[in-house]
Amino acid sequence: MRSPLPDGMSLAAEASGPRRRRHLTWGRVARGSVPYGLILPVLLIVGAILAYPLYSLVRLAFQRYGLSELIAHKGISVGTKNFSSILHDQVFWHVLLRTVVFTIANVGLTMVLGTLVALLLVRLSTWVRVVLTSGLILVWSVPVVVAVQVWYWMTNYQNGVLNFTLTKLGLGDFFHHDWYGTTFSQLGIVTAMIVWGALPFVVVTVYAALSQVPRELVEAAEIDGAGSVRVFRDVTVPILTPVLLILTSLSIIWDFGVFTQPYLLIGQAHTGPSNELMGTYLFEEGYLKTDFGRGAAISLVMLVVVAILSVFYVRKMVRMGDAA
Amino acid sequence: MRTRVFVAVVAAAALGVVAATASASGQSHQANKLTVWLQVDAQSGWPDAVAAANAQFAKDHPGYTVDVQYQNWGDHLQKFDATLAGGTTPDVIEMGNTEMTKYMAAGAFSDLTSLKSTFDNSGNWLKGLAASGAFGGHLYGVPYYAGSRVVTYRTDVFAKAGIKKLPTSLGQFTSDVAKLAAKNKSVKGFSPVYFAGTDWYFAMAFVYDYGGSIARTQGGKWYGNLDSPQSVAGLTAWKNFFNAASKASKTSDENHPAPYDVYSQGGAGAIIGPGWFSCCVGTKYKATTAQFVMPSHTPGQAMPGFLGGSDLAVPQGGNTALGADWIKDFTSTAGEKILQSKGNIPNATSLLGTSVNERAAARSWFVPAAKHWVDVENGNILRNMLATILQGKLTVKQAAANASSNIALVLNGA
Repeated sequence: MRSPLPDGMSLAAEASGPRRRRHLTWGRVARGSVPYGLILPVLLIVGAILAYPLYSLVRLAFQRYGLSELIAHKGISVGTKNFSSILHDQVFWHVLLRTVVFTIANVGLTMVLGTLVALLLVRLSTWVRVVLTSGLILVWSVPVVVAVQVWYWMTNYQNGVLNFTLTKLGLGDFFHHDWYGTTFSQLGIVTAMIVWGALPFVVVTVYAALSQVPRELVEAAEIDGAGSVRVFRDVTVPILTPVLLILTSLSIIWDFGVFTQPYLLIGQAHTGPSNELMGTYLFEEGYLKTDFGRGAAISLVMLVVVAILSVFYVRKMVRMGDAA
Repeated sequence: MRTRVFVAVVAAAALGVVAATASASGQSHQANKLTVWLQVDAQSGWPDAVAAANAQFAKDHPGYTVDVQYQNWGDHLQKFDATLAGGTTPDVIEMGNTEMTKYMAAGAFSDLTSLKSTFDNSGNWLKGLAASGAFGGHLYGVPYYAGSRVVTYRTDVFAKAGIKKLPTSLGQFTSDVAKLAAKNKSVKGFSPVYFAGTDWYFAMAFVYDYGGSIARTQGGKWYGNLDSPQSVAGLTAWKNFFNAASKASKTSDENHPAPYDVYSQGGAGAIIGPGWFSCCVGTKYKATTAQFVMPSHTPGQAMPGFLGGSDLAVPQGGNTALGADWIKDFTSTAGEKILQSKGNIPNATSLLGTSVNERAAARSWFVPAAKHWVDVENGNILRNMLATILQGKLTVKQAAANASSNIALVLNGA
C-alpha cells in the first residue's frame, strides 16, 4: 500500500502539473494587472478632469474665441496669433517680471518665516506650542474670501484698525493712511496676507520634519563643539532638505498663479496694468475682455514659466529620489 | 489581493456612475419654466413688482412657473458668458445700460423689434435708456428703469454752518463747502461733501458740464476727447472741488466704502450718489436728511448727471415669445409705478414725476455707445486717470491725454 502511494502522488502531480501551471499563469496575470487596476481610477479621474480640459485649452489658444464665437459655439483658427500678440504686449512683460519678483519675495518670506516658527515650536513649552499651533490651524481654516474681507477691514483707509494701532503706538500719524495708494504698498499688503495664509502649512510640515532629526546626531555635533547655527546648517538642514524642496516648489506654483488675494484685496475697480500679477492679468485679458483664445494662450505661457521656475527644485528632488 | 482588485473595480464603476449623473444633471431648458435673471436691487428694493409680474404671467400662461434668479453686478457677465457657452442661457436677463452694446453687437440677444408696440409706453421710453437697448436699428433691450445721481445732505449740518439757501451754482456750493469745513474742523477726517477719488460717474459730470466728453466718433472711428480744452477744464474743476470738499482716499472707488456708511457715521455733511442713498443714511440722521440736484458751474442749471439704468433682454437660446411676455408684465405701467415709488426713475417720459431724482435726470450724460465701451470701464482707464490726477503724479492735461489715447485704442477694438 505504501509503495504505490508516491507513484500515485507523482502521477497525480504529473497530471495536475500542467493544470497547476495554467492556474499559476492566470494568477500571475491577475496579480500583474492589480497595479494597473489600482491606478485605473486615478487615471480616469486625471483623464476626466485634466487631460480633456488641457486639450481644449491648447486648442483654444490657437483660436480667436470672443463673445461672437462663444455664442456660435465655434472658434476661428488663427494659428499662433494669440501668442505673438501676448509676446508683443509690453504689459505682459511688465506683469511677468513683476510676478516673478513677487513670487520670489512671497516664497522666500514664507519659507524663512515658516522654518523659523517651526524651530521656535520645538523649543516652546507644551501649552504655548498648543496655543500657537491652534492659532496656525485657525489661520489655515479661514476661507480665503473671508480672510480677504478681514484684511480689507484692518487696512481700511476710513477707520482701519491698522492705522489706528500704528498711530496709537506712536509710530507716526497714520490717520487716513492709504495702504492701497501705490503699487508697492498694494502688493506689500497682498504679500503680507499670502505669507500669513501660507505659514501654517509650512510650519506644521517643517515641524513634523524636525521631529525626524535624530537627537543623537545633534548631541554628537554639540559635543564636538558645534554652535546652534552650525548644528542647524550641517545637521538639521540636510535632513530637512527634501521637505524644504517640496514646500518651496509647491509655494512657487501657488504664489506664481495667485489670484484671489490680489483680485479681491486690491479690487476689480483698481486692478490694472500698473499692479497686475499673472493671475489677475489672465483674468482681465481672458474673461473681462471676453477674449478666451488669448486667455488660453496666456495660461499656457504661465504653465511654461512655472515649469521653468520649479525645474531646479524638481530636478533636485528627483536626484534625491534616485540616490535613496 | 482579490479584495483589492474588487475594490478597484468597484471604485472605477462608482466613478463612471458619478460621471454619468454629472452629465445628466447639466440639462438646459426645462419645460414649463421661465428663467429670469434680475439684479439683487430688485430683490431688496422692489420684490413686490417682481411678484406682481410673476402673478400676471402665471395667469396668462397656466402651468408655467417663473424662476427668478438674483445676480450681482460684479460677476453676472462672467456667469452669463458661461451660460452662453453651455447653452443654458436664461429666458430674460437684466443688463446694465453700459453693458448692452458689446452683447448686442455679438448677437447675444433675440430681436424684439416686431414686439416693440406691445410694451407699455414704448412710444415714450426715456431716450437715453431706449438708445442703450437698440443696435443697428433693431430693438434688443427693453428699458427697465433708470437712476440719477443727486446730493444727499444733512440739513442740520448745513443749517449750523449758516447755509440758508441750497446752492444753485458750483461756485456757491464751493463757498458753502468752505463754511462746512470751517464749522466742522473738530471732527477728524470730516468731509463737507464726501465722494470717492475715482468715482468716475461724478468726475465725468464735470467734464460734460464744461462742454467736454469722454470720446467722440467720426467716420466710424472713435477719438478720445478727454484732452479737449473743455474736458480738461471740467477735470480741473472736479479736482479743485475734490480737494476742497472730500477727505476720501484719492484711490478709493464709490463702493469701498459705501458713501452712506461714511455719512451714517457722521463723517460727512453730504454725499454724492444715486437717489436711493437716502435708504441707508442711518436712523440717527434719517430725519435730518434731504436731497438736492448737483448744481452746474452755470448758475441756475443742474450739472448733467450720469443716467444709470437697466434694460431687459431675451438671450439667444431663451424662449423669445414667453420671455418678451414676462418683460411686458414687469415693465407695465403698474410695474413702473412701483419702481417709481421706491425712488427710481420709470422707463417713460409720460410717467415722470417731480422728485429730486427725476429732476436730476432732466440733464444727463451717458457713456459712448461703442461696442468696446465696457472694456474701457473694466480696464479702469478713467479711474486710473482720476487717481493719477489727485495724487499729483501727472498734470490734468497729461493724465487726460494718456487716458484719451488709451480710450481711443480700446474703443477702436485694438
